[in-house]
Amino acid sequence: MAGPVSRNSELGRQRVRAAWGFLTPMLLVLALAAGWPLARTIWFSFTDARLSGLDEASWVGVLNYVEYLDYGDGEGEYFGLLADPSWWAAVWNTLRFALISVTLETLFGLIIALVLNASFPGRGLVRAAVLVPWAIPTIVSAKMWAWMMHDQFGILNDMGLALGLIDAPIAWTASPDTAMIAVIIVDVWKTTPFMALLILAGLQLVPSDIYEAARIDGVHPVKVFFRITLPLIRPAIMVAVIFRALDALRVFDLVYVLTPNNDRTRTMSVFAQENLFQFDKFAYGSAASTLLFVVIALMVILTITLGRMDLEGRRS
Amino acid sequence: MARAVTNRRKLVFTLVAWTLALLIFFPILWTVLTSFKSEADAIASPPKFLFFDWTLENYTTVQERSDYARHFWNSVVISLGSTFLGLLIATPAAWSMAFVPGKRTRDLLMWMLSTKMMPAVGVLVPIYLICRDLGLLDSRTALVVILTLINLPIIVWMLYSYFKEIPGEILEAARMDGASLRSEILYVLAPMAVPGIASTLLLNIILAWNEAFWTLALTAAKAAPLTAFIASYSSPEGLFYAKLSAASTMAIAPILVMGWFSQKQLVRGLTFGAVK
Repeated sequence: MAGPVSRNSELGRQRVRAAWGFLTPMLLVLALAAGWPLARTIWFSFTDARLSGLDEASWVGVLNYVEYLDYGDGEGEYFGLLADPSWWAAVWNTLRFALISVTLETLFGLIIALVLNASFPGRGLVRAAVLVPWAIPTIVSAKMWAWMMHDQFGILNDMGLALGLIDAPIAWTASPDTAMIAVIIVDVWKTTPFMALLILAGLQLVPSDIYEAARIDGVHPVKVFFRITLPLIRPAIMVAVIFRALDALRVFDLVYVLTPNNDRTRTMSVFAQENLFQFDKFAYGSAASTLLFVVIALMVILTITLGRMDLEGRRS
Repeated sequence: MARAVTNRRKLVFTLVAWTLALLIFFPILWTVLTSFKSEADAIASPPKFLFFDWTLENYTTVQERSDYARHFWNSVVISLGSTFLGLLIATPAAWSMAFVPGKRTRDLLMWMLSTKMMPAVGVLVPIYLICRDLGLLDSRTALVVILTLINLPIIVWMLYSYFKEIPGEILEAARMDGASLRSEILYVLAPMAVPGIASTLLLNIILAWNEAFWTLALTAAKAAPLTAFIASYSSPEGLFYAKLSAASTMAIAPILVMGWFSQKQLVRGLTFGAVK
């Protein structure tokens, strides 16, 4: 932390003025360029806009979200996004995907970071090999894995059969039972390196004399990990988890390429994309995008509250 | 005796680490191997590992069909451009938040995350319309700006956490010695911030290099980077796995090379402060 600069001194005032001057460009850029499209999408969600005639859109209120159709005889039915079972299926798919993949990625990321933090022959090469999957564009890795998971020509089935792990070839990406597993496998493979990298950074900041002291005191290594290492790297893990969860909740390209048109893997983003561009229900898709935004915002608030994240980066 | 145990442990550990690395690296290895096969060998069952007729034919076909150099250059311009623009905006902002923290700093950091809460598909049309109206469709400029926006939050967050680690006493001392704000930043802060900035730079070049959603949506022929180059080989009909593998290998080769050369800097930069 920088020393507390007195805000009343001339020097202090100069610094505060400079600070605001430095912040302004970023705030302006974010507000204008990120806020405007967002505002437009939210506006579209309250209209009857269609992709072919965006300029003729007129205000319809909340009809895209919820609409009660009264049949006149005391009965009626709800329509709209909030009453759409396929939307809620997409919400559920997304949450399940995000929860499982981010948990696995954090776990594996932690293990890999611990391994990479130790010294052994060829560490540089191993580090490079482990970090590379993350540096590959998602569409490439999705293609690569789709090929490896192919039911007839895929090497995954060949290996599974050869090792006796499976009895018959599995159509990984097409079968409803395995589609989500396939998506999670690829996402974990791709993103664990990112987690490992950020956690590794946190690990290397733990002063080695703490370990030394624990070793001299004869503390069991497992206990050292849970009592010393883990609390110290918690801020690093939290930042990694938040950024990762934000991406996982919006997952699109991986699902879209690996398992197109699959009810079991259709995420909120894919649902929005289909309505926006394929089903000619632009306003409905905008409403889905808006709700997605709300769901994610709620999740972030929840994560931060539960994780009691110390945003100031102070280490306890 | 004790030494022998330690050595054996170390050997086991090394083997585990190498196996782990091989497992993780295998899909990439497989893609590279497939790229040297004929299409018939590529779909052979059981799969052929190393004993097949190695051929460069896929690479020549890919090179004939599309202009690798142009896509490569677009990728370079877009990823470098957006990273530098992002750093230009984010560095002063992160400095402000780290060294002159106010009551709103925390809220500001959170608010920045909100740009990462909107699905890309959801804002595609508004952004597409803006680009169309400004005449920026299929231009590298538009992609540089958009990728800057996408990565700005993570750039600011990373820089902020590095700047936080810089001991305030050093800045204090410089102030005591009568350093102006300008020389304080230029001569005291900047040298200490370089590793953090360097690793942020690397990380964001990789992030920008990988971005495929916006590059596919907003480019056609002129400004298309390598991600679009691969996508053009992903026809669902017909089996062109060897060619797709060759195209993928060509697209990821620069990143493989960069990853190899920069993994030390990347880790060291991210662990800035570890030397203390």
